Amino acid sequence: MGRRLPQIFFGLSLLALVLIVAAVWQASTPSWKTYQRQFLQLEAQGEPNAVTKAAVLATPPQIHQVMLTGLQRVDRCTTCHLGVDDPTMKNAPEPFRYHEGLGSHIPSRFGCTICHGGQGLATDKKNAHGDVQFWETPLLTKEYIRASCGRCHKEGDVPGVPELTEGRHLFETQGCRGCHKLNGVGGSIGPDLTEEGANHRSPEWLERHFLAPNAVSAGSVMPNFHFTKDQARSLTYYMLSLTNEEMGTYYSSERLIPSIEYGRQLFVEKDCIVCHAVGGVGAKVGPDLLGVTKRHSREWLDEQLVNPELVYPGSAMPVYDLETNARKALIAFMSSATPEDAQAIMAHKGTGLAPEDAAIEAGKRNFARFGCAGCHGTELQGGLPNPNAQGGQVPSLVHLADDYTKDEVIAVIRDGRTPPLEDAKGPTPPLYMPSWKSLLSNEDIHQIVEFLWSKQQKKQDSW
Amino acid sequence: MNLIRDIYQSIVRRDPLSTDKGKSELVFLNVWLHIHPAKVKKESLKFKHTFYLGFITFFLFVILVTTGIALMFYYRPYPPHAYQDMKDLQFVVFMGPFLRGMHRWAAHGMVVCVFLHMCRVFYTGSYKKPRQFNWVVGVFLLLLTLGLSFTGYLLPWDQLAFWAITVGTNIGSYAPLVGGKLREILLGGHTVGEAALLRFYVLHVAILPSFMILLTVVHFWRVRKDGGLSRPVWKLKPNKPEQLVTIGAPPQTAPLNAVAASTDKTYGLMEVVTGKPIFETITPDEEEDAVFSYPYAFFREAIALMVTVTGIMAISLFFRAPLEELANPAKTPNPAKAPWYFLGLQELVSHSALLGGVVAPTLMVLALLAIPYFDRNPSRRPSDRKWAIWLFTIFVVANLVLIVIGTFFRGPGWALVPPWVHVVAGAE
Repeated sequence: MGRRLPQIFFGLSLLALVLIVAAVWQASTPSWKTYQRQFLQLEAQGEPNAVTKAAVLATPPQIHQVMLTGLQRVDRCTTCHLGVDDPTMKNAPEPFRYHEGLGSHIPSRFGCTICHGGQGLATDKKNAHGDVQFWETPLLTKEYIRASCGRCHKEGDVPGVPELTEGRHLFETQGCRGCHKLNGVGGSIGPDLTEEGANHRSPEWLERHFLAPNAVSAGSVMPNFHFTKDQARSLTYYMLSLTNEEMGTYYSSERLIPSIEYGRQLFVEKDCIVCHAVGGVGAKVGPDLLGVTKRHSREWLDEQLVNPELVYPGSAMPVYDLETNARKALIAFMSSATPEDAQAIMAHKGTGLAPEDAAIEAGKRNFARFGCAGCHGTELQGGLPNPNAQGGQVPSLVHLADDYTKDEVIAVIRDGRTPPLEDAKGPTPPLYMPSWKSLLSNEDIHQIVEFLWSKQQKKQDSW
Repeated sequence: MNLIRDIYQSIVRRDPLSTDKGKSELVFLNVWLHIHPAKVKKESLKFKHTFYLGFITFFLFVILVTTGIALMFYYRPYPPHAYQDMKDLQFVVFMGPFLRGMHRWAAHGMVVCVFLHMCRVFYTGSYKKPRQFNWVVGVFLLLLTLGLSFTGYLLPWDQLAFWAITVGTNIGSYAPLVGGKLREILLGGHTVGEAALLRFYVLHVAILPSFMILLTVVHFWRVRKDGGLSRPVWKLKPNKPEQLVTIGAPPQTAPLNAVAASTDKTYGLMEVVTGKPIFETITPDEEEDAVFSYPYAFFREAIALMVTVTGIMAISLFFRAPLEELANPAKTPNPAKAPWYFLGLQELVSHSALLGGVVAPTLMVLALLAIPYFDRNPSRRPSDRKWAIWLFTIFVVANLVLIVIGTFFRGPGWALVPPWVHVVAGAE
């Protein structure tokens, strides 16, 4: 044995050397180098003479990356997707094909993962496409990718993605916030949705969940809202767009796209028609807005919207606290507005509201916005199943005034309540009334109660 | 030619290795090798006596220091960057995954080998007089190893790291009075955050390794000074305990071979201090068993080194060190588990926080420290120390069983779930 020791030592040293060589070989043959060689060959094909051809082929392999400090990411996708910003690669095979229709969203400014998902730091296909354990945002499929627009364009109307607008609208009117928190506002019966888009839930799962919560998540407390397929799709889009990333000013400045459509919405919301006319249709307090964008520069109009007194000392126009893009949107709408638009807006507008009606109207908005409608129904009908609560379902609110005083209802809203049990030994009912005192002011609650009382139905006379 | 010979001789001053004098000088004249004796007892080198676990542990530590320093070039101990640096190691640093793999697997290996080494020393009774204190040093080395592994666990700043450290430091906070404060000092706050990452980093790369190196030096020095590598139990002579001499105290029995000081001989300082010749442990009847350290011991050590290094390299070539999602304090995995070597503790904690998290580990460490002083039985033969072996075996098995339960049999909510049952977590 003693004599063979040096041989064994020598053999093991040789093995160590082999292992080192193997490790070096493993490290120096990553798949991206193969892709880069293929791309160079593709590029060289287009070169006219042998010298430039050789020069192209001699390009050393290197990792390409886009540093996006404003988005807090580094995208190395272009290490393999080399033709993304090269229009001559329009018909090249993947992964080298040119990305058409990007508009202002150029890869050097936006990278890839902010829209596509995946793992920007990775340099091999499996990891980069995020199809691995421990990576929460794999690539989005074509069907759902437009949801990503909502990651930056968080408000208003996103042109070409009606699903997002619809999803947001549904979220705020169907009472989702009754159970779900979003950006700090909402109940806590269901999960917080603030970062739902970064949660590694597949879009298909979300969509099926909206159609039938129990089918994909056994024992889910979430009631079936009987959404249509389109509504489920819209809500899925909205969920996928929900991330809580910090974004640099360059990106967050486009939270709201200054579209004409959004401008019209603002025009209606801010009641511009009360003072202004468009081509003679409307009030005559302020100047007629037809062709106003031709009479004044956009800068001038913008300044006028920020601070009317500064432009016209003694101007009667109130100051509206509008953000930059909201003003842009209003100006865009003004440049396109016609008397017919004004007519339509006038027609939609009801007569002025009395103060009591205004409170009821505000209560109705709160009822939807804070999610009461989620359980009690948009028509206060209640009826959602709530096992082992008295009556087995969420109570209807249309006969509230028969059993409660306004003060009692205010107390229930403020402090919350667990429903009385049907069977005292049975399980706790999944749904309960949360306490709203931290989210709603006394005034909000009063308005909601006014709204509830305005909806009370007369008890059927038993005669 | 003369110049080359001059240069060579200025570096290598010993005689050729073919001579006994050369073999001795190789050890004496070399600062790195002189912790060895020039001659060792042949049976001490037997593989089935020590399994070379002490050497392997030391070599793993060398691998850890080397790869650790390399990793430091790529790592920033600050939350947003730490995780990104891990990803960079995985995807763009040349041989980064291999490097990180070696560090991770060597770290796990070291925890295992330190423990096995301790078991070996216990079962062969090698902690007995005069080696008691070296056992104590060894227990501290075990604690340092666990500390290094635990502090290193946080550095990748992924979910695994964050929650393992959160759970691990929570276990410590169950200590009465000081527990909460201790945790706060360790974390630099009440939760695992930036301050904790920086503190763990400094502990991991500076403080703990320094102590580790210091104690390792003491450990090796004491092995030599307490009589060299221990001898296999089966080589012990019947009814005659080993003739070993404690440093600093006069020998209890007259050393063999002791001769009156002669005017013809020059005595070295060592011989004057200890009052005996340098080759004290080798008696004439043992002389035939002794061999020169070169080549017998050195090649065996070198083989142990190569086996360790190639083993870790081979594993790292095929298995990547895991990296989970970015640490997210808002998202608790269920169950959140401490590093595997603390899962026995976590299992105990799940039954009783105070008993399992504080009393049991404290008693365990104290018991380990006390072993060489309480075990007054001088014999190293297994047949003479049945009780000690039984007790220690129960201790080892209980630890292993608890760790296995904690690792494989605990599911969401720390409920007992066998590993072959797949639990779908996250149902809402």
